[in-house]
Amino acid sequence: MVDVAVIGAGQTKYGNHPSGLKGMWAEAAERAFASVDRDFEPRCVDEAFIGSVAFGGAQLGNTAALLTEHSGMDGIPVRRVENACASSGFALRDAWMAIKSGQADVVVAGGIEKMNDLSPERRRFWLGVSGDTEWERLAGLTFPGTYALMARRHFHEHGSNHDDLVNISVKNHMHGFENEMAHIRKEVSFEKAQSGFMVADPLTLYDCCPTSDGASAVILAADHVVRQFTDDPVWLRSSGAGSDFLALHDRPSITQVKATQQAAKSAYKAAGITAGDVDLAEVHDCFTIAELMATEDLGFTGRGEGGVFAREQRGVLNQGEVCINPSGGLKSKGHPLGATGTGQAVEVFKQLRGSVEAPRQVRDAEIGITHNVGGSGATCAVHVFGRDRA
Amino acid sequence: MSEILEWHGYFATFDQQALMIQSPFILEESITFGADSDYTTMTIAGLHLLFSRGIDVTKIKSISLVNAAAVKSATGVTVLSEDDPEDETCEWNLLVGEEATLVFTNDLERDLSFHGRADLESLDPTFAHDMAAAWAAELQTSNVSQGAYVSEAAYMEGANARLSFMAQSHDDKIVWPPRQMDADGQRLPEPNQPLMASATVESWTKLSAAGAPSEFALRAPVLGGIQTVFVRFEQGPCGVFLIADDEEYQPEIGDQVTFVVRRIYAQEGLIRYGMKAVPQRI
Repeated sequence: MVDVAVIGAGQTKYGNHPSGLKGMWAEAAERAFASVDRDFEPRCVDEAFIGSVAFGGAQLGNTAALLTEHSGMDGIPVRRVENACASSGFALRDAWMAIKSGQADVVVAGGIEKMNDLSPERRRFWLGVSGDTEWERLAGLTFPGTYALMARRHFHEHGSNHDDLVNISVKNHMHGFENEMAHIRKEVSFEKAQSGFMVADPLTLYDCCPTSDGASAVILAADHVVRQFTDDPVWLRSSGAGSDFLALHDRPSITQVKATQQAAKSAYKAAGITAGDVDLAEVHDCFTIAELMATEDLGFTGRGEGGVFAREQRGVLNQGEVCINPSGGLKSKGHPLGATGTGQAVEVFKQLRGSVEAPRQVRDAEIGITHNVGGSGATCAVHVFGRDRA
Repeated sequence: MSEILEWHGYFATFDQQALMIQSPFILEESITFGADSDYTTMTIAGLHLLFSRGIDVTKIKSISLVNAAAVKSATGVTVLSEDDPEDETCEWNLLVGEEATLVFTNDLERDLSFHGRADLESLDPTFAHDMAAAWAAELQTSNVSQGAYVSEAAYMEGANARLSFMAQSHDDKIVWPPRQMDADGQRLPEPNQPLMASATVESWTKLSAAGAPSEFALRAPVLGGIQTVFVRFEQGPCGVFLIADDEEYQPEIGDQVTFVVRRIYAQEGLIRYGMKAVPQRI
C-alpha cells in the first residue's frame, strides 16, 4: 500500500487574528505551500479536507468550498470535517486515507476557527456546544465543568492534586514562550498558576486554554510523487482514531479517555512503535487535566501515574524521556477549535525537520505524535510521524 | 390532627383530607418562592407526598398556574383545568394561594385554613429581586439560543427520564438516561421502571458565572456560579445534576444525595423542569 508523506505545513499565528475566515485560511495555506521545498502550486492539490466547528458567525455551510476557492484550489473535491475540537485531526485522517486508497496523490488537510469576532452576548451561546446538550448542558456544564469533574475524580482515585496540574501549565507556558505562533507567549510562575482565578473548581484560569482564532494546513503526498516536491519529507506513518460515549455519565470511568486509548493503540500498532519510541507529542491539553490523563492514555506513564509524571517534569523539553507539547500546547499556543489538530501536525512536521525556533527544538527527534480530542473525549485522532518511512 | 414536616425542600402540613405545601422562604412578610421553585415544582412535591402515604391520585383539578405536562411526566397525574368538563372521577382539587403556598384537598367543604410553619428563612431582597428579574428575562420569547440548546421537542422526548427517572431494563442492567440500540442491533425497550432516587456523589464542581452555558447566563451571576454533582445511583447508572435551591451546600465525594423537581431554565417562553440534587440528611 502507498505510503504518505507530509511535504509542507503552515499556520497563522493563533490569537486575536485581524482577518476573517478567508484571510486566515489563505495565510495558512500560503505558508504551507511556501514550505514545500520545490515549486508547489495550489493546482497540484487533488482534494482537500478542512476541519471546522463553524463556531459563531461567518460561513456555516460549505465552508471548505469557500476556503479552497480563496486559496487557488477551486474545482477540486472538498469537504468540511466536524468532530468538535478534533475536527482537523479527523480531516488529517481523511486526507491520509484518500492517499492510502489510491484516490489522490496530493491532498491538503487543514482546519480553521474564528472565535473572537463575536460579542460576549453571542459567544455565550457557543460555550460547550460540543458537549452533551441534553443532559450535561442542562446540569450547568460547559467544558471547564466537565473537565473539572474529571480532575476532582482523578485526585480522589489516584492521589494526584492541583499542583500537578500547575506543573503542566507552567511547562506549557515555558515551551510556548519561544513559539512565534503562540497565542499566549509569557512564562508563568508556579505560584501565579497556583493562585489563578477559579473557573470551575478545582480548575483555575491557568488550567484552561485560551479562546483563539487560527488556521492551519498540511500538505500530504503519496510516496510515488514525494520527490517532485522535496528530498526531506516527514512520513505520516499511521493514523489511529477512536470514539467514546458523548456524556461523561455514560462512560465506565471518567478518569481515562477510552477514545484516546483506542486511537493510540491502533496508531502505534500500524506504525510499529511503542509509546517509549516517541520523542515528542503534541497533546490535546484543552485543560491541564486533559494532558495529565493523556500521558496515561497514550502510554507515557502508567494508569493513575499522570500526576507523578507531571510532578517529576518528565514531559519537559530536552529533560524528560518524551517532550510533551513543545509548541506550548493548547494552553499557550492556543486552541482555535477546528484548526488545532492540523496545527499540531504543523508543529511535529517542523520539529522533525529541525526548523522550529532553536530554544524549543527537541533534540534528535525521530518520532512525533499528535493527539487531538473532540469535546471531553467523545472523539480522538492520534497520528504518528517519523523521519523514517517505517 | 395535622402533621407538619419538611418535604422536598418545602414545608408540608398534612392530614387525610388535605395537604398544604408551603415555600420555606419569606420576603418582606410574604411567603415567597426560592430560587428555582414555583407552583409546578410544589405540586409535584405534594403529589409525591400523597403517594408516599398510600393515597392514590390520578387526576387533579387546578387553575392554570401549574404546568400540566411537567406534572404528568413527573407523577403520572393528569391536571385538569377549571375549564375542563366536570369529571366526577376527579376527587382532588389543587388550590393555589396568593403567596407561595398551595393546598391539595378532596373535600372542598372543609375548613382549609392551615397554620403553616413560622420558622421561615428570610430571603435577601436584592437576591430575590435579581433572581425574579432573571427568570422573567429568560421567559421572554425573544430569549432564543443561537447555539446548541434543548428544543421543546427534545425536552419533551426526554421528560419522563428527566422528571421521574424512568429507566430501561436491558440485559440484566438498568439503563438511564435511555438509549436507543445496543451492539447487537437490538432496540432497547421503552423506559418502564423508575430509578431509585438515591445516589452517591462521585465528583463535583462549581462553575464560575462567566463559564456557564447560555441557559444559565442570566441567573449564574446572581447565584455566584453553578454547582453540579456527578453521581452514581444505587442501581448503577450515573448522572450529572444541579444542586437544588442553590443553597450553600458544599458537596464532598461520598455524600449521599436525593432528588427533587425544580426549574432548570426557561427559553422561548417554556420553563424546563428537571431533577436537582439535595443532600440526604439522616
